Amino acid sequence: MSTAGSVRSGDAPVYGPPAAGGGPPNDQAMKPRLAIFRWKGIIPLILGLALVATVWLLFADRLLRSSAEEAGTRALGTELDVATLHFDLVHTSIQLNGVAIADPFDARRNLLEVKQLFVQLEPEPLLEKKLVITRLTIGDVRTGTPRSTPARPVAAGGFAPSALHEMQQWAKQFDVPLLSLTPIDTIKSIALDPAQLSSIKAALALGQRADSTRTNLQRSFTSLPLQATLDSSHALLTRLQGVNVRTLGLTGARNAVADIRRASARVDSLKTQIEGLATSAKTAGDSLQAGLRAVDDARRADYEFAKRLIKLPSFDAPDIGSALFGKVTIDKVQQAVYWTELARQYMPPGLLPKPSPGPPRLRASGTTVHFVRPQAYPRFLLRRADVDVTVSDGPGRGKYVGAVQDATTEPALVGKPMLFAIQRAANGSAVDSLRITGTLDHAGARPRDVLTVQAGGMELPNFPIPGLPYRAAPGRGNSALRLTLAGDQLDAHWSLASGKLAWIADSAARKMNTIESLVAKVLTGVPALQMNAQIAGPIKAPKLAINSNLDRVVADQLRSVVGSQVAAAEAKVRARVDSLVDEKAAPVKAKIATVRAEADQRIADARTKLDAEKQKLDAQVKQFSGGLVRLP
Amino acid sequence: MLALLKFLQSLAKTLHSEGTPTQIGLGVALGAALGLTPIMNAHNLVVLLLLAVLNVSFGAGMLAWGIFVPVGFMLDPLFDRIGHWLLIDATSLRPLWTAWDNTPVLALTNFNNTVVLGSVIVWLVLFLPLWLASRFAVVRYRVTIGERVRESHFYKVLSASQFYNVYRWFRP
Repeated sequence: MSTAGSVRSGDAPVYGPPAAGGGPPNDQAMKPRLAIFRWKGIIPLILGLALVATVWLLFADRLLRSSAEEAGTRALGTELDVATLHFDLVHTSIQLNGVAIADPFDARRNLLEVKQLFVQLEPEPLLEKKLVITRLTIGDVRTGTPRSTPARPVAAGGFAPSALHEMQQWAKQFDVPLLSLTPIDTIKSIALDPAQLSSIKAALALGQRADSTRTNLQRSFTSLPLQATLDSSHALLTRLQGVNVRTLGLTGARNAVADIRRASARVDSLKTQIEGLATSAKTAGDSLQAGLRAVDDARRADYEFAKRLIKLPSFDAPDIGSALFGKVTIDKVQQAVYWTELARQYMPPGLLPKPSPGPPRLRASGTTVHFVRPQAYPRFLLRRADVDVTVSDGPGRGKYVGAVQDATTEPALVGKPMLFAIQRAANGSAVDSLRITGTLDHAGARPRDVLTVQAGGMELPNFPIPGLPYRAAPGRGNSALRLTLAGDQLDAHWSLASGKLAWIADSAARKMNTIESLVAKVLTGVPALQMNAQIAGPIKAPKLAINSNLDRVVADQLRSVVGSQVAAAEAKVRARVDSLVDEKAAPVKAKIATVRAEADQRIADARTKLDAEKQKLDAQVKQFSGGLVRLP
Repeated sequence: MLALLKFLQSLAKTLHSEGTPTQIGLGVALGAALGLTPIMNAHNLVVLLLLAVLNVSFGAGMLAWGIFVPVGFMLDPLFDRIGHWLLIDATSLRPLWTAWDNTPVLALTNFNNTVVLGSVIVWLVLFLPLWLASRFAVVRYRVTIGERVRESHFYKVLSASQFYNVYRWFRP
């Protein structure tokens, strides 16, 4: 490779020792001999390109496979493995073999394992770094297969890991009650720390608010010129008392009437201010009263807290339902919400530039901004894929037919919702029929996602009964899940139904207490399962509600057997909470009553005095005008 | 140590090559792109192509690449900020980037990345000053200490080392 300018053969070197006494080499003198292009440089360039082409031929598939694994893992938030990848540049197609996506919620399981996957790409969008898939063929899919090595956790930083973390936090926010079956007679005393009671905290805060309200009202009242106005009016009336209007003359009488009118106007203005203050005092008093009601609400929550503290069994069927099925319901909905949130991230609505983290490299990654142009190709578009999949083993073995339409990274460009459906109809395995459908509508400003899963004749998983050494084995039954996420409003329903419910005692069964034995006896006599769960509300703080035939049975049985004991214990708990809360809340109540009474009294006094003064001024004017003029 | 030796050899061979100060200056200005901007990008392919086919000092380009790599790493936060301003904050430029990002081939330049765009812009701004500065430096060097260095024992040792010989095999 040339390191400097090429020199025509036969020419002297451009740079040489400086001539004696000479200056620097003269660029001007060299200029005519310089050529702009160094055509010899093309040879190493061609060699370099040939080398790149050779490397591409030898290693492109390997490089692309590794990139696909890395990008896929980052995008999905779970490990993606690809056994082999072949990129056909001429036909712009990719053949992948042995694709495995680890279950983000279980590192030892694969969510999906695809033996062969063929992707046919449109060539033109590739020049814009866009992927438009015209044909997708998937062959031999297996689900829920065990992994030989556990999936490595995905490093934090990308959206998917943070979404996964958020979902785990999301699941923790639910207050799933415990199915407590502690014998009542073991409750000797209730040790409650007042600092743990929210009603006490609320009462103390309300007390401070009452003090501040009282100070503010007093300050507002004293700032009113009540006494000054009354004194001024009184002085005027005293000055005019006994004065004969005839001695004043016309001008004097006119001035006197004007003085009275001014005094009257001051009284009226003050009355208006007093009425304003009365309104403020009423609002403040009502707010404090509402605070007292909030303390009572907090007290009810404290009853429940204290009951949980001493593990009093609840007779409320929804509580028992949540205790029995809460965790399993949250797990199911959590997974559905995770995938929906992921879809929202990768299919955002609108056409605004979308920033995302730049590619990982030694240098700083920076931010990559995707600019979307109307009527252009989206960065990714799968127009339609029809998939026939045979799951060869595992509980879900059988034939599946699936279709995906308009899957894209820029739904606003496509203008249509993404639709997908997977259906199965085959007997003889763990599922008789399965239908999964979904609509991801991100074309408008408010995304709306709907996912429904219906499984019939499905081998329902066993689940443990919290607090009892038993597992419920629902056997074959039906399950349905419908999740709607409109904007940030979540509405998820999950139902389970089985006619062949069996009960399996734990192998290391411990000795049960009286209540546990009774509940176990009742439960194990129940032959069927019918459960409906709902998680609804804002995605950040949804509410869980569950009802089932099991919780109704357990609640009834508990009530009939230990109802009176529990009621007595509850009364004890309430009394203890009341004594602690009343100690702090009673002075606050009294303080609020005082604030209201003081404000009412002061306002009433002021009104009386001002009304009396106004009457006096009115009478004085009448006297001067002989009843012809009245104060306004 | 080996890297330092190689660097010194590279520096010496460039300064004492047949190249004119203008050629060396242009080589430095072009090679700076390879160090200042993230290397695996399409514009660097163009820079390499220019270094090869234009009658500029290829060695100076390679030397500048080595010198500007740490500078590039250091200035990444600045590049990111400049790129962010150009891509996101300057809304008047959005039509340009939208068109760029949706034009075949141009979209492959990765100019929609803040660090890539910021570093390319900084390089383009620095191109002329780098060229003139390095041209001036070469002229001054050759006028002042160039010949003394050439005659020095150190230079002779350096020139006699294996690396220099390897370099000479490929010299035109």
